[in-house]
Amino acid sequence: MQAAIEVEELGKTFRVRTRRQGRGGALRDLFATETREVDAIRGLTFRIDPGERVAFVGPNGAGKSTTIKVLSGILHPTAGDVRVLGLVPWRQRRQLGFRIGTVFGQRTQLWYHLPAGDTFDLLARIYDQDAAVHRRRRAHYVEAFGLGSLLDRPVRQLSLGERMRCELVASLLHEPEILFLDEPTIGLDVTAKAVIRDLIRDESRTTGRTLLFTSHDTGDMEHVCDRVIVIHRGQLLLDQSVEALRRGYIGRKRVTVKSEEERLDLELPGVRVVARAPHSTELDVDVARTSVADLVAAVLARVHPLDLSVEDPPMEEIVRAIYSHAEAQP
Amino acid sequence: MTATATEHRPGLPGGKYLAIAHIAARQAVEDRAAMVGRVLFQGLILLIFSRLWTVVIADGSLGSHSMRELLWYLAITEWVVLSPPLIHLEIEEDFRSGDVAYRLPRPVSYLGSRIAEGFGTMAVRGSALAVSGFVWASLLSGGLPPDPRGLVLVLPLGILAASLAVVCIAGVGLTALWLQDASPAYWIWQKANFLLGGLMIPLEFYPAWLASIAGKLPFAAMVHGPGHMAFGFAPDRALATAGALLAWGAVITLAVAATSRAGLRRLDVNGG
Amino acid sequence: MTVQRLRCDLAFVRALAAVNLRATLALRGAFWLALVGMMLNNLLYFAMWWIFFDRFEEVRGWRFEDMCVLYGVVGSGYGLAVALTGGVRELARRIVDGDLDPYLTQPKNALIHAVGSKGFASGWGDVASGTLLIGVSGVVGPFELPLVALAIALSASVFLATGIVIQSMAFWLGRIETLARTIWEFLITFSLYPPTIFAGALRVVLFTLVPAGFIGFLPSSLVRDFSWLSLLAAAAGLLAYALLATVVFRAGLRRYESGNRFGIRA
Repeated sequence: MQAAIEVEELGKTFRVRTRRQGRGGALRDLFATETREVDAIRGLTFRIDPGERVAFVGPNGAGKSTTIKVLSGILHPTAGDVRVLGLVPWRQRRQLGFRIGTVFGQRTQLWYHLPAGDTFDLLARIYDQDAAVHRRRRAHYVEAFGLGSLLDRPVRQLSLGERMRCELVASLLHEPEILFLDEPTIGLDVTAKAVIRDLIRDESRTTGRTLLFTSHDTGDMEHVCDRVIVIHRGQLLLDQSVEALRRGYIGRKRVTVKSEEERLDLELPGVRVVARAPHSTELDVDVARTSVADLVAAVLARVHPLDLSVEDPPMEEIVRAIYSHAEAQP
Repeated sequence: MTATATEHRPGLPGGKYLAIAHIAARQAVEDRAAMVGRVLFQGLILLIFSRLWTVVIADGSLGSHSMRELLWYLAITEWVVLSPPLIHLEIEEDFRSGDVAYRLPRPVSYLGSRIAEGFGTMAVRGSALAVSGFVWASLLSGGLPPDPRGLVLVLPLGILAASLAVVCIAGVGLTALWLQDASPAYWIWQKANFLLGGLMIPLEFYPAWLASIAGKLPFAAMVHGPGHMAFGFAPDRALATAGALLAWGAVITLAVAATSRAGLRRLDVNGG
Repeated sequence: MTVQRLRCDLAFVRALAAVNLRATLALRGAFWLALVGMMLNNLLYFAMWWIFFDRFEEVRGWRFEDMCVLYGVVGSGYGLAVALTGGVRELARRIVDGDLDPYLTQPKNALIHAVGSKGFASGWGDVASGTLLIGVSGVVGPFELPLVALAIALSASVFLATGIVIQSMAFWLGRIETLARTIWEFLITFSLYPPTIFAGALRVVLFTLVPAGFIGFLPSSLVRDFSWLSLLAAAAGLLAYALLATVVFRAGLRRYESGNRFGIRA
């Protein structure tokens, strides 16, 4: 079987300007810039088969976006080999363009002052779609993504979540074989995030479309993907199934309790105090040993909570755990 | 921060505005890239007109004026219009963002402090453009004007004219209170200077009827008035221009102050 | 195969222009305000030349009607360029901010897509005042109308090409939006004066480094005094600038950093 994506020893170096300070610094920068090189990715190797849903995670600045931009043909790499659907992305951008779709959470392809439908129809021209086929697909996605009532309003009047649903449809209309998503849930509230995650997952399950998904939100990866690739400082740290990662690293919750009482003390298996301030206690909970429900019951028995939040541990912490684990191995 | 900005001197109400102008001037010194752009633009326009007037003179249709006079005229008028900063943009932004509400309670007049900033910035720009304009005009016209004593009169007239322009631009900024956007008023102001002030072509070359209309308006005093000093040493004429500038200055300052009071009261009523 | 592809690409360009126009017209009030405002602005500026030629009649054979045609062609050309391909005015910013990403992943020419994705209503005001001036010049009869259209199209294309070259410098120099706009405006300034006043080295510069000749003098001469040689020269100039624009943009793309350059603070 031909791989959907094959990456071998990929490297990308950016030149970073060190800007001069003070008077006229900007002007002098025009003529002679001081630059130094920063490795965004180093020696990255992996393979993704058709139909896989892969999360590409890591803390900010790890090189996730850079990798996805190389794979979709936006950036030229400085080292290594890449094949996407058998094509070299930055050299065969046009051919590849017909077969992939991209959603960038912080960029938009929608025309701001026009209803999203106008962008959809322009996209039919961009991807050389037959008019009848386009009409059929458009109707299908408008229905599936619940866009009916949004289509006659200019994009500037849509909420961020509504806009993201339109972005997704815009990227799917030409039925790409691979969909690249770069932080598609960034800035969304909890409800909108959940809607977007469900839509992406269900769409990919019914069509068997390959997904490559970056996020620094562990929830995104848990809900949508089957496999996870963790990168850190531009290098591959971990490549395994989401299931295995969940067992190993993400079976924990972060619980913060704000209480009338100044101090909260708990003795429960798998519960550890990670931070403490007057009237506030932050706990790390291994849910395999003490469930969230048991924990909350224990908290209620001891103090009067003013506020209580349960969150996934931040990505940085998971990476740190994986990292220290990897370091410990010979 | 220097002592001028922080010292409390109850006996000197103008001192505050001087301190504001001083701060603005120091900030203007930092903005060098924009300064370079203005100096190059000044040189470009003078280069083109040096070619234009040379050809017109060679064709023998210019009468008594020399190319050198006409280029110095343009150097002076450009100096007057390029020196005042575009404070209407800041005033418009104050209204749009609602920042004006935070500036009103201060013990200085809102518009007064914006105008003081304008004067400070103008002092820096004007000094730089005076030097560069002198160099460009000397190089491109091949020397000083035939009667260089006229240049001595240009300095006070130009400063007076550019100061009045700052007040006018503040007035342009106030139109944003009613129109949300000050740029239509600015365009009108800019084109009035250009056409009725005689920015590029001296009013002497205008059709008589248009020149006489222009002569009755403040734009001619601001632009053509100082520019005319390139044609010779004329203290009487300079005095008349200075008188006109002061008279117009009084009228316009009063009008702008009254508009500002009326406009800001309106702002109070609307609650900012 | 290539014919098929050409037809698809043309359909794309047509659809892009149509959507762009619809987006410009979406804010109807702002559109008319910008159009009428820019038109008035230009005509008031041009009044200078009416005053000038009223007094001097001609500058080395160059008369008021020549000025009308020159200003009309340059104004309409610039206007058309920013009305239909206004993205060029923002190209430097988009390069630095990484806003080219969506165009690069789609199977159509990214440069055309980027410049064609924005239109400025004020450009239509430039076109309106420009064509009005050509009309009142009194030198254009109905048979010259195709020549007028050709001249405006040539001027607009050279504007576009030089704009792309200047703005693409952002690939190498980073944040140069203000500088790029200033330089572009300098080009326009040069092309708005009677070409007969420039001689010698300056004239050479105006036809090469600064394409004032190809933006204004040559295209407007096609209207006033058509010759196949001028047309050939104008076409050759356009071809050279278009080629330069394509090569520079392509070379720049290799250095495109998708906004990462300023994002990384290591």
